[in-house]
Amino acid sequence: MGKYILKRCGYIVVVFMILSLLMYSLYNLIPTDPARQELEPQRKALKADEYQMLYQQLRKEMGLDDPLIVRYLRWIGLWKDTDGTFNGVFEGNFGYSNLYKRNVVDVIKTPMGNTIFINIFSTIASLGITIPLGIYCAVHKGKRFDSVTQVVTMLGYSIPVYIIALIFMYLLCVLWRVFPIMGTKTPGAVYANGWQEFVDMLYHIALPVIVMTFGSLGGMTRYVRSAMIDALSMDYIRTARAKGLREKVVIYSHAWRNALLPVITSILGWFLGIFGGSVIIENTFSLNGMGKLYWQGLNNMDFELVLAIQMFYSIVSLIGSLLIDISYGLVDPRVRVDK
Amino acid sequence: MAKKKGFFLTRWFKRAFLGSDQEVRDFMQEEQVQTPFRTMAHNFFSKHTVRIGLIGFFLIFLFVLIGPRFWVLDLSDQDSTLTNLPPSSNMMDVPKELKGKIADIAAGRTYGVGLDTDGHLHTWGYTRITEKINIADIPDEVRNADLVMFAAGEDHVVALGDDGQLYVWGNTRLQQGQFSSEMKKAMKANDATWDIIQLEASNQFSAALSSDGTLYLWGNTNVADIKLRKQYQGNIAKVALTSNEYICLLKDGTVAYTGFKDKGSAFAAIPENLQGVTVKDIAATSSTMAAVTEDGQVVVWGNAKNGEKNIPAFSAPVKKLYAGRFHYTAWLENGDVVSWGGNKYHQTEVPASVAHGANIREIYTGNFQNYAVMEDGTVETWGLKGFFLGTDGQGRDLLTRIVNGGRVTMTVGAISVIIATIIGVVLGGIAGYFGGKADMLIMRIAEIVGGLPFIPFAMILSAVIGSRLDPTQKMYLIMVVLGVLSWTGTCRLVRAQILAQREMEYVTAAKAMGIKEGTIVFRHILPNVISLLLVSMTLDFATCMLTESSLSYLGFGIPLPTPTWGNLLTGANNSIVIQQYWWQWVFPAAIFGICTICINMIGDGLRDAVDPKSAER
Repeated sequence: MGKYILKRCGYIVVVFMILSLLMYSLYNLIPTDPARQELEPQRKALKADEYQMLYQQLRKEMGLDDPLIVRYLRWIGLWKDTDGTFNGVFEGNFGYSNLYKRNVVDVIKTPMGNTIFINIFSTIASLGITIPLGIYCAVHKGKRFDSVTQVVTMLGYSIPVYIIALIFMYLLCVLWRVFPIMGTKTPGAVYANGWQEFVDMLYHIALPVIVMTFGSLGGMTRYVRSAMIDALSMDYIRTARAKGLREKVVIYSHAWRNALLPVITSILGWFLGIFGGSVIIENTFSLNGMGKLYWQGLNNMDFELVLAIQMFYSIVSLIGSLLIDISYGLVDPRVRVDK
Repeated sequence: MAKKKGFFLTRWFKRAFLGSDQEVRDFMQEEQVQTPFRTMAHNFFSKHTVRIGLIGFFLIFLFVLIGPRFWVLDLSDQDSTLTNLPPSSNMMDVPKELKGKIADIAAGRTYGVGLDTDGHLHTWGYTRITEKINIADIPDEVRNADLVMFAAGEDHVVALGDDGQLYVWGNTRLQQGQFSSEMKKAMKANDATWDIIQLEASNQFSAALSSDGTLYLWGNTNVADIKLRKQYQGNIAKVALTSNEYICLLKDGTVAYTGFKDKGSAFAAIPENLQGVTVKDIAATSSTMAAVTEDGQVVVWGNAKNGEKNIPAFSAPVKKLYAGRFHYTAWLENGDVVSWGGNKYHQTEVPASVAHGANIREIYTGNFQNYAVMEDGTVETWGLKGFFLGTDGQGRDLLTRIVNGGRVTMTVGAISVIIATIIGVVLGGIAGYFGGKADMLIMRIAEIVGGLPFIPFAMILSAVIGSRLDPTQKMYLIMVVLGVLSWTGTCRLVRAQILAQREMEYVTAAKAMGIKEGTIVFRHILPNVISLLLVSMTLDFATCMLTESSLSYLGFGIPLPTPTWGNLLTGANNSIVIQQYWWQWVFPAAIFGICTICINMIGDGLRDAVDPKSAER
């Protein structure tokens, strides 16, 4: 197992390098000139040839004239920078955000916390609903409740999440005024202690979490249901029932454990999907999260920021796929991943 | 013949989809072996959800396919006077109480105000100006006054009582109700200098003309040139208002631009063929002005963008001229009525009952509406009735945008699915057929591409590559990006199918018979894959439409003003739109939701039909 994980980690590193190179060269398609940007404020004060000299000097300092691969290696931190040190992604330097005029690492901290917080909440909420619902529907297959759920879940995955968000906003924020319509905290609020702040934040993210949960109900419920039906149609279930085991034991101990395997893949895959999908939710609700930051960065052409977030997304997805494979082996001993 | 069973519609559908022999089948036929395709078709069409989905999807598809011919999209279209109108069709519905006893009508932007012979005021149409201000809330002092004259502007109404008092209601926040001191003095005196013969209202300003030739102008001085050059005061016979200027007909029968805009502007340049001719009537649309000469000819000048200058040939001299926002209506000496100019809302399509020699008492025109009051008191109307699905924040008809947006969304969805399928089939085929290193490489690539968060990646590609493209190219770019990012599912499916089919006995049998490899792949294996491919294409179609709309919603898809079902909802996530302008998001969301649900229903049904095992789930 250890060897397998090592091998996979190596694979992840290779893929990450390729991906980051691709992304980096993609960004370099955009005609920008950081040196000119840097000099722009002093431009009027300088003479033309003076400006030209300073500009060329700055270009050299920034290493803008070097080949793409060198610039990429510098950015990732595997090549000596112009000042002779290694200072790249691997050293923890993700670049400088033009939009926020701060280092990307500092910019990203709070939004990343928010995003992970929200996503964990909505993941727990949806799993708490979908798994029991899926099992119930599978056990009571073909009954009225099951068919109604089938239709409702179909609605859930057919309607785009922002439309669901609009409907919930209309009902809960405009008609009944239960939740605030956007933001992560009450404007101008002063908190007496951390607990109050936490509660206020919970209150604000309640609606986004509800919408995210609702949006993900459809696919997950169907998945759990079909996995469970597959498991229930197996011979060992008939054997278990023939032994006279109680129905609860048959369902939860025999069937559910076997249905878990496909469910786990889907849970992880979908947990990753949440990170991507939250771009829409965070924009709709103006939450200060990664998705919103990403959107702002793209809109304002702040590409070092965007690149850093993109790297985060890639890492999450790569590590996620590793976790899927490892958890296969853990859940189902028959699967030998290190074969 | 078996007894007819079931609701007639269900029987119709059965006959339409299954053929008429289904009802009279006996057990012998039941035993007949069907081809797999027929079984599939039967399984497919026998499901309720599939039928609902098919009917729904085809209705929407036809609507979106044929609709753009009727609701033609004009990308430069916008009108500040028609913004945020709710769905309505009552803009020309003169109330019942008013019919037969109309004394006077004033038609405004999207509403009308009418006075009956008993002195009661009525309003109709869309009278709401803002959330708080409503033209229909007529102030009590106006209700109690005996009105002799009134005029309706964009967002305010002016009325004159028989005691000489002027009333203004509607939007009065921009000085629409602020009279100058001379006016107040004259109003108070109510003598010969305040014998009002004409009252006009336009875009935030109004005009009152006294019989001694004195013109009073008041309103929002920031939008309109409402000052009068001194030498004309006391010499004015008629006034006509555009949306930001006005012109006057002087008592000597000449037309003059009496405001302070400079001589070079299109309004101040009175055409030469009006020099030395006596003018008997004037009128003005929002940006053009027109005069009727004594011999009944019409001359138009100004910024004619909607064909106001295309004056038709009249069958008789023009008696009176009326103007809307973009059109003119002329009443001829022989009783005929002719309209010309902008015809977007059918405001120049004069009904046959009015067009030729009808007994018309008077004609009134609003922005886009025309009312002809007959001698017998009935009213004939033509023009803008209202918008079936309302308008958006820029005054564009939502129905037009939904229909055309649907076409764009569906086209993008369909083409990106085709691209994804082609890539998926080719790569999946190579991986499945050749196996080995190619398989390994392709599947690794598929894993990476499939594992990346979809929306952020599509956003980045659209932003980085699309920054230098024009809107049409960007549309193609979105198709390609969606196709390139969503082929992995198809690829995996095709690969797995080909791998599975290769080991099947029929392939072994075919090989044993000496059939060539290529024939086996294309004649034997491919047909078995195609049905599953069709399923995945259907489901992918819905997904691609969803993704396109999400991207457009975020502003990284198809750029405005080209409508798609996604970017129609872009501005919808603020409380004002959600609350007050519900039609702007409910209708696009509803049709889009219904469409994707229908496609998913079809896809699910198709999967169940192709793979009966999945139906048991």
